[in-house]
Amino acid sequence: MSEKSFDEIFSVFEEISNSYKRSNQYFDILYDSESSTLITKSRTSENIVVNTKKSGIVARTFTGTWKEIAITEFSNIKKIERKLPRVVNMGKKIKEFEGWSLNEEIKPKINPLEVPIDEKIKKIRDFYSYMMKFDERIINTEVRYLEYFTERIFFNNEGCQLRQVIPRSSLFIIPIAKEGVVADFDYYIDSGEIGFEIFDKVDNNTLDETAQKSLDMLQAELPPSGKYSVILDPGMTGVVAHESFGHGLEADQVIRNRSYLKAKLNQQVASEICTICDSPTMDNAFGTYFFDDEGIKAGKNVLVKDGILKDFIYDRRTASALNAIPKGNGRRESFAHPVHPRMTNTYFEPGDCSLEEMIEGIKYGVILVHEYFGMEDPLGGGMQNTSKKGYLIENGEKTKILKAVTLSGDVLETLHRIDAISKGSIEIDGGRCGKGDEDYVPVGSGGTYIRIKEALISPG
Amino acid sequence: MKNEKIDLIEDTIKTKNIEEYEIYLIEKKIYETMFLKSEPEVEREIEDFDYFIRILTQKGDQTGVGVVKGNAMDSKEIGKNIDTCVLLSKNNITSKYRFPEKKSISNIIIADNSILKDPIGIKNDLCEELISLVKDQKGVIPTFGRLRLHIKEELLRNSNEVTLESTKTFFYVEYSLKAERNGKLSEYWNTEYFKEKEHLNFKKRIEEWAKIAKDTLIAEPPKPKKDAIVIFTPHVLRQAIIPVIGFHVTGQSFSEKISAYKINDEVATKEITLIDDGLLAGGLSSNGWDGEGNPHQKTEVIKNGIFQNRLYDQKYAILNGEEPTGNGIRSIFGGIYNGISNFQIKPGTTSLEDMISDIKEGYYIEKFSWLNPEEISGNFGAEIRNGYYIKNGELHNPIKLGNVSGNVLEMMKNCLCISKEVEFSENSLFPYMSFSNLNVSF
Repeated sequence: MSEKSFDEIFSVFEEISNSYKRSNQYFDILYDSESSTLITKSRTSENIVVNTKKSGIVARTFTGTWKEIAITEFSNIKKIERKLPRVVNMGKKIKEFEGWSLNEEIKPKINPLEVPIDEKIKKIRDFYSYMMKFDERIINTEVRYLEYFTERIFFNNEGCQLRQVIPRSSLFIIPIAKEGVVADFDYYIDSGEIGFEIFDKVDNNTLDETAQKSLDMLQAELPPSGKYSVILDPGMTGVVAHESFGHGLEADQVIRNRSYLKAKLNQQVASEICTICDSPTMDNAFGTYFFDDEGIKAGKNVLVKDGILKDFIYDRRTASALNAIPKGNGRRESFAHPVHPRMTNTYFEPGDCSLEEMIEGIKYGVILVHEYFGMEDPLGGGMQNTSKKGYLIENGEKTKILKAVTLSGDVLETLHRIDAISKGSIEIDGGRCGKGDEDYVPVGSGGTYIRIKEALISPG
Repeated sequence: MKNEKIDLIEDTIKTKNIEEYEIYLIEKKIYETMFLKSEPEVEREIEDFDYFIRILTQKGDQTGVGVVKGNAMDSKEIGKNIDTCVLLSKNNITSKYRFPEKKSISNIIIADNSILKDPIGIKNDLCEELISLVKDQKGVIPTFGRLRLHIKEELLRNSNEVTLESTKTFFYVEYSLKAERNGKLSEYWNTEYFKEKEHLNFKKRIEEWAKIAKDTLIAEPPKPKKDAIVIFTPHVLRQAIIPVIGFHVTGQSFSEKISAYKINDEVATKEITLIDDGLLAGGLSSNGWDGEGNPHQKTEVIKNGIFQNRLYDQKYAILNGEEPTGNGIRSIFGGIYNGISNFQIKPGTTSLEDMISDIKEGYYIEKFSWLNPEEISGNFGAEIRNGYYIKNGELHNPIKLGNVSGNVLEMMKNCLCISKEVEFSENSLFPYMSFSNLNVSF
């Protein structure tokens, strides 16, 4: 799309939004642009890809159902008016919310756009070389750095005039260790709404630890299968909060009659020591923003308080259908993807135990460490969450290192069996989450350590 | 229009005296209906456009590759993008690379003309058929769905006078059918891309999905077993084989010393013959050419259990002194990676029915929660969403929950039987296969 200033976009969007009367129909329009730099390095490959700016516009109207048009050329803006017909008396088909104005940019401590490309490449090469010299059993290392800026401008016919620019960065370091026929790895990851300062957290100690952790995986054994007491590290705690539990609270699943949690509002869904929240307002977290892609102001949502289910996660459509207050969860991957109610930063609030006490209380069990992936089951309430590794706990002590561990079983049974949550500050890991198999949006998830009795685990 | 765009970019490149360049354009049109229960809820029409420029700077026995992505078409922005790309190529160092030369390309048809003529009409007809069949099913309730039609036009031009163009059409279908009795819930939730309209086969599929949803209502957790026999459907098999075997057979994994496979190694039971075929009629990844303009071809990867050939893109072919096999895949960021096109496993001679009847005790997996094996080790563990317990040669009872774990590299050596029936699943054409020595836990 041709370069336009945001003032020019504001002016065009205001005119088109005002041409659809709110009393007749709901209308909104979103400008979405992303610019990014990706640098990857491995044994035989070094790639640098710059997305100077990819942008597009999506507009839609609600007249009982949604109709949506997306374009990539500003000159095609009239197509929106041609394709989205004006109707009468359909305005009440969806609840009206108050319009508001905002123009905000999150400024990273070190703006990556002001850092020369050769400086970025040098960092990546230095990390790679350091890891490869650490031990001859490190046969390869993948270093991956991504920085990107997302700009969203949103107007609707309720008076919303909004703009936000959000920077995000992520850094992965994956040393691959091999001895004989056994090859395995562990990894370092950091991500957030931060800039080039992401590199400041990585010193030689961090690199040494990451390389050693990969080497340790060469000794890892298969985890046991069956029901045991387990402890989840903060990353895995976040996967349970997000994948296993949070997806079932997305209110599109509620209006589809596809959520096992639909009938559980104000009921006990977890042990009473559990409080689970979703918040797009946490500083520097990957899923943070000022407003969602439907112009709703971002706000904290206490989903579970002391084990009781308190709320669902809404977009405009589901909030309207369920007469609820949306807290800014209507999100698109980009202008080319649809809106769904989505999580932002989802986490367990800390408890009052120490990790040592939690480990000491287990005769035979497993700690699941370093989240790998998870999958939702909003209708059935099942779960599958896999950690990259684990440790056996024997007689209250952490002993052998284990290969990937999968936590599965019934979500609500598992949440009821949480008997300890560690104190300390919440750790949030960032990543991109899909709805089913697609529509990926940046999210954060985390918490502290949690302990679960009789959790079903198996090799992952 | 696309030609005008590529001409404009090429003209600007030429004014800057750049010797080695490549321009890749992609235009997408997407038409989608999203359903709430069985009613349309969202109608979407999407136009999307990107271009990628790659510029090379040769540095002796190494090469600098710059890659830029954008969609701004005014000359000032194009000029800035080219300057950025040159800067990147000067800073980048990778192994020797040059763009593919002009070669003979198979002229295969990957677009359905009826879709190109009337995409919205075709999509609406398909939606009507889908919904009518969904509503006809007894004992299940639709919760939501999506039907999407894609038209993807690609154009590639490089400084070696390679000029290629293709138009592809394909579909995406997602639907969830729910069964409910006495407060118990179950569902079958399908998400899949389909290359051809004939592959949609809604009548057969919807009936099968409804049956599985109803069966899962009475599903029990699986009986734990340490050396279990498990049948994988073609859909499940794709999720196991492509990420792991597809990784170990590339030139990249070999060059990076991570591949578990050496040429002439016995890597699978002798009944397994695996082919990579970028020209496979009906394959989702089929095209005459790969992401960097090399011709797609058919490569025998594993023959009768023996590893025969690696798959190369241009970079890893040069690095290993081999010929590219048409396995350069264009990533969404614009760079090229070494991957598979379509995988095909040769069918066996046994029917699925006979395969099941030969198993005294085993498991048949229709769908996992997410089978996501770790590509280097091949290890996996996945929760059963829809499946059956096999007892005395029959599907005895539906199963759900519990985990199947194992290792994909080992599974290939522990294949018991391959069905004669084969099915497309996105970029694979696979039979049903049974494997021994898997771990089923609950």
